Amino acid sequence: MENSTSNLATRTLLPWLLTGLVLLSACTTMPRQQSAPVEDRGASSPHSVPQRLPEDQQVTISPLEREPVAPATPLASSAVVALLQNAEQQQRAGQYDSAAATLERALRIEPDNAHLWHELGKVRLGQRQWAQAEQMAQKSLRLASGDRLLGAANWRLIAAARRGSGDLAGSREAERQAGSLR
Amino acid sequence: MARKPKKSSTKKSSPRKPRRRKSGFAFPWWRLALVLVFLGLVYVAWLDFQVYRQFEGKRWALPAKVYARPLELHAGAELGPDAFARELSLLGYHLVPSLRQPGEVSRDGTRFHLWTRGFAFSDGDEPARQLRLRFSDQRLESVEALRGDDPVRLLRLEPLQIGAIHPARHEDRLLVRREEVPELLVNTLIAVEDRDFYRHHGISLRGIGRALWVNLRAGGVVQGGSTLTQQLVKNLFLSSERSLVRKANEAIMALLLERRYDKDEILEAYFNEVYLAQDGSRAIHGFGLASRHFFDRPLAELDAGQAALLVGMVKGPSYYDPLRQPERATRRRNLVLALMAEQGIIAPDRLKHLQASPIRVVPHRAQSSNRVPAFMDLVRQQLRRDYQEADLQSEGLRIFTTLDPQVQETLEQSLSRQLTRLERQRGLADKELQGAGVVTSVAGEVLAMVGDREPHAAGFNRALQARRPVGSLLKPAVFLSALEQPDRYHLATLLQDEPLRLEQPTGEPWEPQNYDKQFHGAVPLYQALVHSYNVATARLGLDLGIPAVITTLQRLGLDQQMRPFPSLVLGAVDLSPWKVTEMYQTFASGGFRVPLRAIREVVAVDGTPLQHYPLQVEAVVAPEPTYLLTVALQGVVREGTANGLAQWLHPRLKVAGKTGTTDDLRDSWFAGYSADHLGVIWIGRDDNQAMGLTGGNGAMQVWGDLFSRMSTRSLEPQPPEGIEWLWIDAATGLRSEEGCPGAVPLPFIRGSAPQELAPCARTPVPRPLQWLRELFQ
Repeated sequence: MENSTSNLATRTLLPWLLTGLVLLSACTTMPRQQSAPVEDRGASSPHSVPQRLPEDQQVTISPLEREPVAPATPLASSAVVALLQNAEQQQRAGQYDSAAATLERALRIEPDNAHLWHELGKVRLGQRQWAQAEQMAQKSLRLASGDRLLGAANWRLIAAARRGSGDLAGSREAERQAGSLR
Repeated sequence: MARKPKKSSTKKSSPRKPRRRKSGFAFPWWRLALVLVFLGLVYVAWLDFQVYRQFEGKRWALPAKVYARPLELHAGAELGPDAFARELSLLGYHLVPSLRQPGEVSRDGTRFHLWTRGFAFSDGDEPARQLRLRFSDQRLESVEALRGDDPVRLLRLEPLQIGAIHPARHEDRLLVRREEVPELLVNTLIAVEDRDFYRHHGISLRGIGRALWVNLRAGGVVQGGSTLTQQLVKNLFLSSERSLVRKANEAIMALLLERRYDKDEILEAYFNEVYLAQDGSRAIHGFGLASRHFFDRPLAELDAGQAALLVGMVKGPSYYDPLRQPERATRRRNLVLALMAEQGIIAPDRLKHLQASPIRVVPHRAQSSNRVPAFMDLVRQQLRRDYQEADLQSEGLRIFTTLDPQVQETLEQSLSRQLTRLERQRGLADKELQGAGVVTSVAGEVLAMVGDREPHAAGFNRALQARRPVGSLLKPAVFLSALEQPDRYHLATLLQDEPLRLEQPTGEPWEPQNYDKQFHGAVPLYQALVHSYNVATARLGLDLGIPAVITTLQRLGLDQQMRPFPSLVLGAVDLSPWKVTEMYQTFASGGFRVPLRAIREVVAVDGTPLQHYPLQVEAVVAPEPTYLLTVALQGVVREGTANGLAQWLHPRLKVAGKTGTTDDLRDSWFAGYSADHLGVIWIGRDDNQAMGLTGGNGAMQVWGDLFSRMSTRSLEPQPPEGIEWLWIDAATGLRSEEGCPGAVPLPFIRGSAPQELAPCARTPVPRPLQWLRELFQ
């Protein structure tokens, strides 16, 4: 009895085990692929859904009649200046996500700083997020209504954003606004 | 693949057949032996595979960690010394006379010396630093490096962990790398658990011998012969049953593990795997987390006594639990300390002193994952759009949120304190009132959320889930709709506050009343909002058309269905505090709609940023009408239904806000904003019965308490280009002149102001309107 069982075992099990062993060793030496934990929408792709600004809600700011006011928008605290410098470097290096995060950090410190909103608009432009680029510039315009220099820069930013989105008439209009502030 | 074996078996078996007949009895034994050896090999290979699979890559399911915002420190920050001290205490910094290591702070009134811990943020490391900080009353005046003259322009403290996302019962750990484990701890562990660790190959005969000898002498099991490797194998791969088979498996796998990995890798795994305590449904694994759990310190900051206590606990985490069995734990620690002295890990002359010092562990706190349940609901809700629950529970994601722990704590305290006070004052039953609140920054970050007066109670989250009629909170949308038509309306437009009766589309009659049951005749538009006159507002709404009001509400972000009934303009629509916050956010952000965010960033376990949730804005209301509305809402606070805020707020802190009260006083609302913050509070009863509180004497009290203790800036809106301030006769709404009694300055969209002049009559200016003069100057 024992004999035949062992024979049976040898004959049927052995090859299975052999293959199994080969398989197993293949498994053990196979480099395990580490699965990416989550979808990565961060670093490279501009991911936000572009927001449209309905034409009729666009803010038009008429040319100023009053005398230009000397540096109207106060420049920032040293902490914000440090962040601005960082953001500029990151922007130059094309690290738009980091630059945006740095500017948002600065905005938490000085939410009414029109320069920061303008810079964030430039980052969005670099990311080809045309709608947000324009919105940031609009926000900056509102916060620095007396600052002609920054105002003109914001209108130029808006012109570029509209050009990017294919709104050429709107872009020309923005250029005109920028010119009237010079 | 599956077929091959079959094929080969038939191939091989046919030539063997005759041989078997010949050999008879002689060979089966060695064949059997061969089979056994082979089976053994296969078995070992299988174990090796197990070891490899478990050990390589991700070894543990790591819950996602959720962090509050890091505190930013820079000269000029609006941060008082006490708030700063509170933040440090939440972060587990230790108050000491003088700094010796990271995680410590010393304080002398408004001056601090601080040794920060540092933190690896996704946008760069924040190093550990020694700093000198000086505060004035409500401001951080300077931050300097303690050594050297480097001015420190800006730094972040490490963020507070506010929660984790994990299955109901779970293991928790704070992974440490080998180089993060102090040698003190390594040497102690080796001295106590496995002296031959660096010499053996997984199992130690000498260790077994020593254990046998010790146990024989003691007449029982006092020391195990298992090496650290065996212990690790047992914890990682095997059940806790005590059998020879298991013991054999353990030994084989220990040898395999040692063959594949070096000592440091094995040590690192051990430090992270070992089970050390139970905290409710959460099992505390690893020295990294245990150090936090018992001492509120990172591993690197442990002293000799603490290291001894933790290492001692390995033998029996519940038996030597320092919280429940302090005496046993002390004896065990002292034994370990003695061993440390014997092995030269500590100086022998320190032994007596160390053994005499009491063990100090932090008392058990509420489980950290439930510190802020309402806010965590919001975080989960926003995460669910982008992540699978399984990934959140196991991939060790780090989620950086917008929560400000100090604002959160202030909101929690204000709500529960005021509700208790109101119940006593009004003779209501204990815990009869419920409430909820949300605080955001003007940039749309959610800083705090409370969904229950017991802030740590998880369950019904009223801030997100309770939908209640909003009453007068809706009025600003009506007035905004009007002010957006400067050819028809301005702040001085006279509205008729006269009896009104009409039929709703359902056929029901509708006859709005004012709260004081009076009619006020012709009132300027801004006065109707300031005093929340229902009838004047209803007439204005009808004049504008209900669909126009609905369009405005949709523009402000309300996406739900609203029936175009006239009663809508008086707030007959059910909204959650969260939805109200979204709506008021546009006012607080100067006419820009800002999607509310609870998460800034999600970072993978290795530190790579996965997703950034960016700040977005969208201009939905022109600057001029936004400005007019804000001036009117400031009037609500200065002379209207919210003038009671004066008892809470500093006279120089200007805010804008609106009260809301519903029929029979069932719901009490307040929504208001400063230059930096928006807060929305709701109070009511869960059974929706009357409770006798208006917006002003209920929710506004909570809001006032909250904003009086928050650090926030006064709201000083700058008039946009198209705005002019003119003098208006308060009684008639006609143009007047400065110096005329009864004249008040009001802002107008250029060209919209009334032209007709009122006679410069000799009636005195009503006192309450004085604020407008101030605003104008």
